[in-house]
Amino acid sequence: MAEDAVVDTRSARWQMYAVAFLITALIFATALYASNYFNDRRIADVQSTQDNIAIDILSLETQFDLLAEHSCRDISENSVLSREIQPLASRLSYLETQQGVDQDELAQLKRYYSLLQIKDLLLMQRVADKCKLQPVFILYFYSNKGDCKECESQGYALTGLSERYPQLRIYSFDFNLDLSALKTLIDINDVKNELPALVMNGKAHYGLRTMEDIEKILPQLATLKTATSTSATSTR
Amino acid sequence: MSIEAALTYTFLFISLYLEVFLLVSFLERRKKGVLLPSQLPHVLPTVAIVVPCFNEEYGVVTTVKSLLSLDYPKEKLEILLVDDGSTDRTLAVVAQFKDDSRIKIFSKENGGKHTAMNYALAHTEAELIGCLDADSIVAHDALLRIIPSFSNPRIAAVTPGIHVREPKTLLQHLQNVEYRLSVFNRFIMAVLGSVFITPGPFSIFRASIIRELGTWRYAHSTEDMEMALRIQEAGYWIANAPRAIVHTATPDTFPRLFRQRVRWTYGWLRNAIDYRHMLGNRKYGNLGLIILPSAIVTIFIGIYFFFRILFYGAQALYHKLIEYQFAGVTSPSFELFYVNTSAMWFIIFVSVALVLVLISTGSFIGTGRRMPPLSTPLFLALYSFMVPLWLTTALVRATFKTGVRWR
Repeated sequence: MAEDAVVDTRSARWQMYAVAFLITALIFATALYASNYFNDRRIADVQSTQDNIAIDILSLETQFDLLAEHSCRDISENSVLSREIQPLASRLSYLETQQGVDQDELAQLKRYYSLLQIKDLLLMQRVADKCKLQPVFILYFYSNKGDCKECESQGYALTGLSERYPQLRIYSFDFNLDLSALKTLIDINDVKNELPALVMNGKAHYGLRTMEDIEKILPQLATLKTATSTSATSTR
Repeated sequence: MSIEAALTYTFLFISLYLEVFLLVSFLERRKKGVLLPSQLPHVLPTVAIVVPCFNEEYGVVTTVKSLLSLDYPKEKLEILLVDDGSTDRTLAVVAQFKDDSRIKIFSKENGGKHTAMNYALAHTEAELIGCLDADSIVAHDALLRIIPSFSNPRIAAVTPGIHVREPKTLLQHLQNVEYRLSVFNRFIMAVLGSVFITPGPFSIFRASIIRELGTWRYAHSTEDMEMALRIQEAGYWIANAPRAIVHTATPDTFPRLFRQRVRWTYGWLRNAIDYRHMLGNRKYGNLGLIILPSAIVTIFIGIYFFFRILFYGAQALYHKLIEYQFAGVTSPSFELFYVNTSAMWFIIFVSVALVLVLISTGSFIGTGRRMPPLSTPLFLALYSFMVPLWLTTALVRATFKTGVRWR
C-alpha cells in the first residue's frame, strides 16, 4: 500500500502559531513558578535553621546565667556553631549565586546570620573566661562586591581548615553588610578595609593566608582534635 | 535581569516554541491519520534514476543492485549511471550491468554532482527523474510508495524516509538517532508545505518542472537545497513519503562527519543568503514565516549555548582547581538544598524531553515502531556538544565565503 502525499498546505497557520505560543508561554510560566517555589523553600529552610540557632543561643545564654549555680561541665563547649552555623554559611553563599532569589530577603537572612555569629562569639568568650577554657577561633572578613580577588581562595582555605579541625570556630562576615553590630565588631578589632582579613589571637592579618600559614599563626590548633582523630575517638 | 540572562531565556523560548509548534502541527495532522492510503495511477509514469558516480568502485554495485530490485515495471524504469570523471575503476565495475535493458552508462568529465544530474536530464525522456547517491540503497517498494504523491500536479518533488545504513561506529549510531529526528522533520515540514531540502538519496522530481525551472546548479556544493528552494519559490510543492525507505552510508569518523556537516551548513547559509527574499515573507507561508527563519536562528542558538556551556564549564573547573589548591581534597557531599532548580534547567529538561518525543515520533513515522534507537540517550547527551563545532566553522566560512569541498 502506498501513502498519500504528505503535504497539506503551506499557507501560514496563524491559529497554530498562537496555540504553540500559548503552550510555550505556559511551560515558561510553570518553570518560573517551580523555580520560585523551590527558592522560597530554600529561604524558609534557612530561616528555620536560623530560628533554631537563635533558640540554641538563647538556651546557652540561659545556661550561662545559671552558671553561678552549676559547674562548667554543664556548659556545652561545643556550641551550636560547629553543627549548624557552618553549613548555613555555605547555603547563604549558594543562594547568593542563584537567580530569582529575593535579594532583600537574602540580605535580611545574612544580617540575622551575622548577628547570630556575633552572639555565639561573645557567649563563647564569656564561657571561656568563666570556665578557663581556651577556644580557638578565627574571625574572617570578606567582600563579594568583586573588590576582593583573594576572598574566594581564602574561603576555600578556611573550609579546608575547618574540615581538618572540626572544633575550630570560624566566624565569617561580609565586611560591607549593613549591620551596626558588625560595624562595632570591625571597630573593636580594628579591621581595615584590606580584604581578605583574618583576626587570629586578637590580631588582624591581611591578604591571603593558606592553611599552613594559619597553622603557624595559630599554634593552638595543634591542641585541637583533627578530623581523623575525632572520628577515630568518637564514641557517639 | 542581566543581558546574558535575557538572551538565554529568549533563545530558550524560541527553541521551545519551535519544538512545540512542530509537535502541535503533527498532532493536528494526526487527526487525519499520519499515513493515508492512496492510489497508484492507472498508468505508471516513466522514471529515470540517476546514480552520479565519482570514484565509487566499492559502493556502486550494491546501489545499482538495489535499484534493479525495485518493484516497478521494467519498461518504465531507467537507471542512468553517470561516471563523473572517476579516477578509479568505477567505470569498469559498472560495466557488468551494461546488458540490463534498464541501465544506461555514461561517462563525462568531472564537474560535480549537479553536472551529472544535468547530463542525465539531457539524456532521458522520463516523466520523473530521481537521484540515488552511490552510497545508498533503496527498499524494493520505495518507488511505488513515492509515485502516488505525483497525482497532485502541484507536487514537483517527493522526498523519501532516509535511514542510516548498517550503523557500526558510535558516531553512526548517533547519526541513526539524528536521522529518525530528520524523518520527523521532513514529514512535518511537508505537512506545513515547507520542505527546503530534497536530499540526494532518492528524492524524485517531476522532470518537466525541473526543465521549466532550469537545471541543477552548483549552489555552494548543496544543489539539493538550492533546487528545493527554487521549487518552493516557484510555488510548487514538495511532498514526503516517509515509508519509501532509503538507507544511506554515513560518515564513520568525526573528521568525515565534521567535513560533511560543514558542507551542509555552509551550503544552507549561502543558499539562505541567495534566497533571502523568502525569509519572513508571508507569500511563502509557513516556509517563509517560521521554517526558514528558524533554520537560521537555531544555528546561532546552538552556537550561543555551546559557548555558554564552555564558558561556565571552564569557570567551574577553574573554581574547583582553586578549591583543590587551597583546601586540598574535601569530602564530597550531596544535599537536596544544592540541587539546581532554576527555571532555565526546568525548561532545558522539558526541551530535551520534547526532543525525545520527536525522535520517537520520527521512529513511528519512519518504521511504524515508536521505540527510538537504543543509542538515543547517548545522542541526547553528546550530539549537542558536537553540532556547534561544525555550525561555528560553517558560519565563519560562510561569512568569509571560503567555499567547501565535497570530500
